[in-house]
Amino acid sequence: MYTDERDITLVERYFEVDLDDVGMQEVSSRLETDEPFKALFVREQLLIQVIRYQGQQDKLQYLKRMERHLLASTPSLRPWYYLVAAAVIGALVVAFVWLSVPEDPNKLFQAYFKPYPNAFEPGVRSLHEGTQRRQALQAYEQGDYETAARGLKQSYNDHPEPGLLLLLGNANLTLGHVQEAEENFNLLIKNYDDLDLQAKWYLSLCYLKSGDVERAKNMLKELGATEISYASKAKELFEKVN
Amino acid sequence: MIQNEIIKKIRSGGQTELGLVYAEYREEFLRWITKEYHCSDDDSKDIYQLTILIFYDNIKQGKLETLVSSVKTYLFGIGKNIVKEYIRKEKRYTPINQEKWLKEYLVEEQTQAPDEHAFDVAGIALAKLGNPCRRLIEMFYYEKKSMPEISEALQYKNAETAKNQKCKCMARLRKIFEEELSRTQKVINHVY
Repeated sequence: MYTDERDITLVERYFEVDLDDVGMQEVSSRLETDEPFKALFVREQLLIQVIRYQGQQDKLQYLKRMERHLLASTPSLRPWYYLVAAAVIGALVVAFVWLSVPEDPNKLFQAYFKPYPNAFEPGVRSLHEGTQRRQALQAYEQGDYETAARGLKQSYNDHPEPGLLLLLGNANLTLGHVQEAEENFNLLIKNYDDLDLQAKWYLSLCYLKSGDVERAKNMLKELGATEISYASKAKELFEKVN
Repeated sequence: MIQNEIIKKIRSGGQTELGLVYAEYREEFLRWITKEYHCSDDDSKDIYQLTILIFYDNIKQGKLETLVSSVKTYLFGIGKNIVKEYIRKEKRYTPINQEKWLKEYLVEEQTQAPDEHAFDVAGIALAKLGNPCRRLIEMFYYEKKSMPEISEALQYKNAETAKNQKCKCMARLRKIFEEELSRTQKVINHVY
């Protein structure tokens, strides 16, 4: 392969989108007339494609790990017996709801509360995480919320991160420690921008659980007006609380 | 997180945010695509994963800067295009092959598809390059991180050092690629 340093730099800068008009002009005209230069260009393009392909493969593996984790915490969508079972349960729930109006906030909480999945580092070790953090996340994934809450609290105190706070709030809410959960979600809303809508959804569930229907309604109304995936759930729950 | 905030976060590097988007829209997407296109469970998940990768790629490549619709609408749009394009190409129903699909997606803009053999050899060269070089060029060409960001993440002295290192890594990759190419060429010649 022909190796002119200037040409290699020219091609490199082309792919870095770092060329001025004159440089761009030179590249396109030489691609038409200069075969060794074209070979250099094609090789660089191929190498960059392979780098991007590998990057995509790494991301894909991350998503697959996440899928396995989510799958472990939710039932399959397809098999017919799940659908039949869901339909039967659905009919019973509808009948139950129909017969028991007005709805009890605590029952609504039970129906709508589902702990947030560990979407932060599902089953993977990060470079910075210590043993405690890893164990806390593992405990959370396995549904051991008692251990998870202890570990998450300590890990958050050591290295504050919004994701840990969201999971800590969820662990506390699952355990029935509503006041602590409320504090966790309020702190998340106050100190971070990342997960405030998730925090507001769970905060509204905290209010429902503690019977503070008015505050729950206000928060659900606010969420219902957004365009996130919680909006439809929030609107639905708002109707029921109202 | 509001819509354009998600994009900003993903652009500045967050794998966590990508995971959050994945978890957030997964159920609705799978339900929709299974019903709309009668895909199997496995296919629906494969399509959803490709959708998320394209979403990520569009943000990183600067094709998606602000959203006029919601993230959900955008994701459903990508998913719909993947299925339609796949049905058009395959002409009959076959399970989606993610690797093949991603390869084709990457070379889509080229007039001439790259040589399959050269593509595989480049993959071997990249694996032989090893870290931290591999990580550095992946951050630059795939994650589209700036030199100051790379310098901070990989703890180089400054952005200029990171840039020099990137040039050296690419030079090494070219060299390994050429060596591998000529080695495999010799093997092919020997066999024939």
